[in-house]
Order: sequence, then structure tokens, then C-alpha cells
Amino acid sequence: MAAIPKEKPSRIDEARAQFARYKADVKARGKPFYPYAMFHDTIMSLVVVCVIIGLAAMWKWSAWGPGHDPTHKGLLGPEVDPPADPGTTSFVPRPDWYFYFLFYLLRIFKWPESVFLGTIGVPTIALILLIGLPFLDRRRERRLSARPVAMVAAVLTVLSMAVLTWKGATANEALASEVIADVPHWVQVENLPSGALPGAKLFATAGCTACHTYAGAGGSNLGAPDLTDIGTRNLGIDFQIRHLQCPSCVNPGSPMPHFASLGNERLHQLAVFLEASKGAH
Amino acid sequence: MATTYRRTPTKAELRRQRMEELVNYPLDWLEERSGLVGGVRYFLFRNVPSDVNWMQTLGSAALTAFLVQAITGVILAMYYTPSASTDPATGKPVAWESIVNITDHVTMGWLVRGMHKWGASVFIILMFLHMGRVFLFGAYKYPRELNWIVGVLILVMGMMEGFTGYLLPWDQTAYWASVVGINLNGTAPFLGPWLAQFLRGGQEIGGETLTRFYSLHMLVIPAAIIGLITLHLYLVIRLGVTSPPWSKEAAGMEPEEEEPVTARPGLTRPVPRTAGGTAMQAEPGGRD
Repeated sequence: MAAIPKEKPSRIDEARAQFARYKADVKARGKPFYPYAMFHDTIMSLVVVCVIIGLAAMWKWSAWGPGHDPTHKGLLGPEVDPPADPGTTSFVPRPDWYFYFLFYLLRIFKWPESVFLGTIGVPTIALILLIGLPFLDRRRERRLSARPVAMVAAVLTVLSMAVLTWKGATANEALASEVIADVPHWVQVENLPSGALPGAKLFATAGCTACHTYAGAGGSNLGAPDLTDIGTRNLGIDFQIRHLQCPSCVNPGSPMPHFASLGNERLHQLAVFLEASKGAH
Repeated sequence: MATTYRRTPTKAELRRQRMEELVNYPLDWLEERSGLVGGVRYFLFRNVPSDVNWMQTLGSAALTAFLVQAITGVILAMYYTPSASTDPATGKPVAWESIVNITDHVTMGWLVRGMHKWGASVFIILMFLHMGRVFLFGAYKYPRELNWIVGVLILVMGMMEGFTGYLLPWDQTAYWASVVGINLNGTAPFLGPWLAQFLRGGQEIGGETLTRFYSLHMLVIPAAIIGLITLHLYLVIRLGVTSPPWSKEAAGMEPEEEEPVTARPGLTRPVPRTAGGTAMQAEPGGRD
């Protein structure tokens, strides 16, 4: 056994030798976890708990506005939002801040051809790369100066996450109160017949513009298409109603919420409006 | 430990010995039957590299944030009602009302809910910072690859806690964010529609969805996180903490290259830089 001396030890042998050296070093000249490292850990943990309590306190005291209105927006947002209402006519889908990067990623890809990349594709690839990191970078080198590729990758990752989160945080929210002011403008540029007016008002207030753009208004969230000239596709009133009732039924994989709760009359108004939208002139 | 006496022990010495045995009895009892005392002693008095720094407290800070979430979460669960049905007296959803009740009426309820809400963000931030530290230190390399993977899974589970917990107040923002979030899950190939259907518990988001999210949020995912954290800590203790890579005395550093023999004619063998070769040898190791 082992009669032939190896020219150069293999990578795993080198790694094992280094780890054995590490273990011996720590045993010989390390310091006990308690009290040294544990002291630092305890201080840090106390800071964390204090920060959490501080945020909770700031949330309450700054939101506790005039007349003790719990929905008053403070520094960190209102304490209580209005209750969920599936039949609502106005909403802005907004995730917690650590999902903003995903939220914004979906704007980069366009429905329907490539939205799949934004919802599943890119996040899955990123997760696989993250899990696979120790197998992609198998050198033993740990010094930053000797790991240029890793450093560039780290900087790019942090930058892109930061930019996506920032863009997601500052993305335009199309508020119903602002969008409804645009309706006369729509009537003018689209030459909408008067029959399409109730639908236009509904479109402006029912939250459609949270994701869709229309004649320059609205928010193209989640890769939702522009609807300025949706009428030129002549999809028909019936199709529009069926689509609004259950988008994924007629358009498999659509992430659009169901609007069946608006009721038949309002759905019909919306469909008339959409069919009348032949593009801005 | 029993002391041996050359002479007959005095009454005071005997009494002292009996007292010591009495005080130590519960610990000795536990140790004999479980070995737990030895385990804790090993955990506390194991050596870590002498050059660990403040950046290496981020992991334990994230653990603390998780414990805050666990404790405040248990308290919230005592007052929260996961029901989407409408309270006939007020016309508001029951879940939303219970959140308002916690915020406005339960003693210190605002603090517990506030800590849970903001602690979630702190937990996520600390996990990301901890991951960044591990990346900078190259601490995911052999033999710690598995622990990196466990850490990534904890991060994913933590974000799933965020996703499921967001719906529970049953307010407008939460509801519509979850509608869209679930629909996005549905766009995944193969499993997507099935997953969306499972999360919704039906065709539409409603009471079924809320109870599902509640169960996932406080039973399934926390159990998974606790299991993963246990494994994570076991691996940290077993494999040890890395020195900062820039440290001059990093544990496990390469022995220095042999100097050219011509430079120092008298010296045939370089002084080994490995552990225990120098003055440090005189110092006792751990405390036990």
C-alpha cells in the first residue's frame, strides 16, 4: 500500500490536510467559546432585540396619529390596513419589502411570452446557483484578493438585488383617485363612445391599472400587457367577460386575479370599454 | 470531586463535602443518564480560533431574531383567530378584527405584534448579512459545503414564513398580494397549478386559504426551520468556526514555504509554524 509516492497531493487530500491543521491550530491556540466569543454574541443579540423593540415602538407611536386613528400612516406605515374585501374595486398588490426584487423582476419580462422567466425561471436559476456555490467554487483559497471572480459576482449580485428592491419599492402605484382623473383624457384620445364611459370609470377604479397600463397611465406590474389598443384584437364582449371572470381559464397560466365578484353588469361595462379601446390617436 | 485526606477529615470538611455532593447531585444524575452536561460543557468550552471577530456574531444574532419570532408568535396565536368569515355584529372579517383587538386592546399586544412584524424583517436582513459574511470569509468551502446548503434552505424557509404570515392580518394589502403571489406560483410548469390550488384550498382565495396559510406559518415551516437550525448548529460545532481569511494567525494556515537553504547556511530545517510549536504550548487548552 502507498508504495508509490504521489507526485502532487490531490485537491481533496490538500483540503483534508488543511482541515486537520485547522483543528490542531484551534485546539492549541484557540480560545474557549465561553466566555470570549459568547460575550460578543450576547451583546449582538441584545442589540438585535433592542432594535426589534425600537421598531415596534416607532411603528406604534408614529402611526398613533391625530384622533387615535389606527390607519394613520406613520414612519413605518399604518398599524392596520382596511380589511380584505374580495369584491373590492380598488387595490394595489404589494408584497413585503424582501419580495420587492421579485416583484420588480416581473416588470422586466413581458406577458405572456417571457413572464415565465420572471416568475419561475430567474429565481430558480438563482437558487440553484446559490445552493451549488460550494461546488462551483472548489478552490481552497479564502483570501478576498485572490478570489476576483467571487468578488465580482458578489458585488454584481448585491448591486442587482439592491437596484431591483429599490425599483420595486419606488415603483409607481396607480392610485384609483389619480387614475380616474385621466378618464376624460382617455375619451378624447381613444374616441370612446359614451357607452364605454361607465366601463372606463370602472377600469380606472377597479385596480386594473395596478398592473396594466392604459394610454400612458397605470403600472405595468407583473408583466401585464398594455391595454391601450386591446379593442383592435376584436376578442369580443363574451370573451372579455369570460376572461375577467377567470383569466387563467381562458388563458392558461395567467397570474391575473379573478374579477367574477364584480358582478355581471359591471363586467359587461368593462368588456364594452375594452372592446371600444382601439388605440390612442 | 472527592478530596483525599491524609488525616481524618474534620467535621467542617465532611459537611462541606456532603454539601458539594448534594448540590451537584441533580447534574450528576442528569449526566449519568444522558451525557447532556458533558455536551453543554463541550459546547461552552470548545475552542474557537483566537481571531474570530464581530462579523461572526451575525449567525447567533439571526438565531436570536428567530427566537423572538417564535416567542411573539406563540403569544399572538393565543389571541389571533384565523377566520375569514364576517362578524355579523360589525360586518368585518373575524381575523382582521382579532388583529385590531391585539393591536388596540390586549395588554402590550401592540408591542408583541410590532415585534413579530418587524422582527420578521430583522430576521431576513440578518440571514442575508450572515450569508454575506460566510461568502466573504470563503467559509462555505470544504468541509462546510453541507452547512452552506442548510443555511440557504433556512433562508428560503424564512422567506416562506414571510409570504404565509403576510396574509394572516387579512387586510387589503395582504389579501391582494397573496392573490397575485399564489397566481404567480401557478405559472410554474408541472407543479405550479397544483401548488396554487393547494395553497388556495379551492378556486378562490378565502377562508380555506387563510387556515392553510396559518397552519403552514405556525406549524409546518417553523418545525422545518427548527430542524434545519439544529442541524446547522450541530455542523457549526462539529466543524468549527473559520478564522477571517486576512488574519495573520488564521487557524489552519499553510505552513510557510521553505526558505532557500543558501540564505541561512546554518539552518537546515525551517522552524515549523504549525500549532503548538511555539510559546502557545505553555498555555493550557480548554477549561476542562
